[in-house]
Amino acid sequence: MSITVELTYDMSKALGTRRFEVSGARTVQDVVRLTREKFGERGEAFEKLTSVAAVVVNGVLINHQSGMSTPLADGDTVAFFKAAAGG
Amino acid sequence: MIKGYAGRILEVDLEKRTHTFKPLDEGTARLYIGGKGYGTRLLYDMTEPGIDALGPANPLIFATGPLNGSVAPQSNRFAVVCKSPLTGAIGNAACGGSFAYGMKRGGIDILIFKNQSAKPVRLEIDGDRSEVRFIDADDLWGKGTYATQEALDKKKYHAVIGPAGENKVLYAGIVSDERIAGRTGVGAVMGSKRLKAISVNGSRKLEMDDEEKFKAYTKWLREHFRDHPVLGGLLKRCGTANIVNTANARNIIPTHNFKYGHFRDAMSLSGEYMADHELVGVKSSCIHCPVTCGRDVKVEGVGRVKGPEYETIGLMGTNLEIPDLKKVAEWSYLADDLGMDTISLGSVLAFTMELQERGMLQVGLRFGDAAGVSDMIKDIGHRRGLGNDLADGVKRMSEKYGGKEFAIHVKGLEISAYDPRGSFAQGVEYATTNRGGCHIQGASMYMESTGPLTINPQNLKLKAEIPIVQQNLACAINSMVLCMFTTYAIFPKAVHNLDPKSFLYRAIVTAFENSGPVLRTVMGIKGRPMLWFEKWLTYITGETFSSGHLQEIGARIFNLERMYNLREGFTSRDDTLPPRLLHESTFKHMKSGHPLPQLLPQYYKNRGWGADGVPTKRTLERLQVRV
Repeated sequence: MSITVELTYDMSKALGTRRFEVSGARTVQDVVRLTREKFGERGEAFEKLTSVAAVVVNGVLINHQSGMSTPLADGDTVAFFKAAAGG
Repeated sequence: MIKGYAGRILEVDLEKRTHTFKPLDEGTARLYIGGKGYGTRLLYDMTEPGIDALGPANPLIFATGPLNGSVAPQSNRFAVVCKSPLTGAIGNAACGGSFAYGMKRGGIDILIFKNQSAKPVRLEIDGDRSEVRFIDADDLWGKGTYATQEALDKKKYHAVIGPAGENKVLYAGIVSDERIAGRTGVGAVMGSKRLKAISVNGSRKLEMDDEEKFKAYTKWLREHFRDHPVLGGLLKRCGTANIVNTANARNIIPTHNFKYGHFRDAMSLSGEYMADHELVGVKSSCIHCPVTCGRDVKVEGVGRVKGPEYETIGLMGTNLEIPDLKKVAEWSYLADDLGMDTISLGSVLAFTMELQERGMLQVGLRFGDAAGVSDMIKDIGHRRGLGNDLADGVKRMSEKYGGKEFAIHVKGLEISAYDPRGSFAQGVEYATTNRGGCHIQGASMYMESTGPLTINPQNLKLKAEIPIVQQNLACAINSMVLCMFTTYAIFPKAVHNLDPKSFLYRAIVTAFENSGPVLRTVMGIKGRPMLWFEKWLTYITGETFSSGHLQEIGARIFNLERMYNLREGFTSRDDTLPPRLLHESTFKHMKSGHPLPQLLPQYYKNRGWGADGVPTKRTLERLQVRV
């Protein structure tokens, strides 16, 4: 099962990539864990940034699903981001 | 006269080349503040239904409010009001820069242009001497907005049009410095009057009711804003383009003419990317504004110019699927110099690309391909070749070439860079906003999709409430005249520091989401001034303004605009969204698009309108809307 992970700028700088795939993640929590394992020290820096980030699965905030336990299906996209404002 | 106003309206007849100074009506100022509100009242009273928007009977009204001319942050904007040549509905647009400051220094609250000049003309206004000079503008006709302003008196403040306005491109705007009153084609109306530029100055000081309180509070607030995550952080560091990544993550950034809400390479167009790779400077684009949301970038062959805004990036970058910030910056510059709205422009280019993709028009413009775009923008600005058709906007293009099902506009106004299928309140706002599909007449998306504390944007809760509160507030803000960005400071720093995944965050959002009509009731309480713009208005005018006062004034303005549109023949059938946004889904879990039909009846009811979308007599009387 492959999940696409997308990052906004600060987090992408921490990991050195904008987008990557993880295999075997069944929940959003798994994505964070597998990312930390995959990227080592950089992964830890990333995990810190996610502590105040919002998370969406296929564009839908996990707050309106099952939070970090939101189940994932093959081909889903998980994105981490922060609030923005302008117009 | 109430403090904060200059007390004068300058009325100019461009055909007879005469002018008259008239007193500002204090009663109207009390009911409508100024800016868009006062301007709408004037337009309603001055015009007959059914006038030609590009004919002499359509007045062009520039209106300031009591906050203009002060040093309050984000307070130097003016509103332009007229009948829109693009939509046939109420037309208005707001603009930063420095012109509003010049008007108030010249002792002019409102500037009205009537009739049309026989040949190109520009105006120089000396407010101190109450002198108006009509100067032939043949030498400036055809020049871009930058060259035009460069040629004018440096001691004055200017509002100008470019070739797009001269050629009556239906989405042409009016430019002050590097800012544009972009929406609804106000620049085409100025072009129809052959009015190339207005220059004004004077030395009048704004009179305030309590200047000491105003100064002390503003000094404190400037410090507070400096530390605010949006005004002192996001906008300062990344400009409005800070939204690109967030809108993309939430699947609401227009892509491929709104076929999708996500663009794979959006990061290359983001404000953060711009800050690291393209930025050559940051500046305050509007006089006295400490936010400095303006960007400077370099365009090859031109030099240092204003960087593209979020809307420009959304409509001309992701929507055309071109992940090239240098190209978008070049097109942004071209549009500004020609003097036209990049939202409508980007949308009409995307629509044309889809026509090409479907074999309905052979024009050589393709999604993902920058070739030909620069030339087409120039052709639109000068109404050359096929550019002449694109200059009429998406609605008219779809009537001529087909494709109404993917023509992205509301009431003829191309919609902004927030896809309402992932932002239901924003969709209701698009459908009902009187000037058509625009985000900045309420900005509901901030409360449900992009801001630091967002409700679920895809259920029906509060979706017929938030747009009303936001639209009313925006009407009031645009009448002071303030920048809408000031409202982004409503959430304090502590809210920005909340973890969206935390229990506390979810508890606050759940309570908010279930507040139902209580939200409007609370917002409607007429108490003491609490927020900064309420305090500014109170300190300057000496009248009391609270949230409840502003909601009432905003509702009054909104309903008057509604009555203008109804008088022009618009009906509830025009309160809709493009078929693509109603019927096609961009989310895996949704089978269809925006659920507008489920929300509109409740919105009408909450507004105090009948099921036919017409304000009831009782509502009009309660709000003192004279029709």
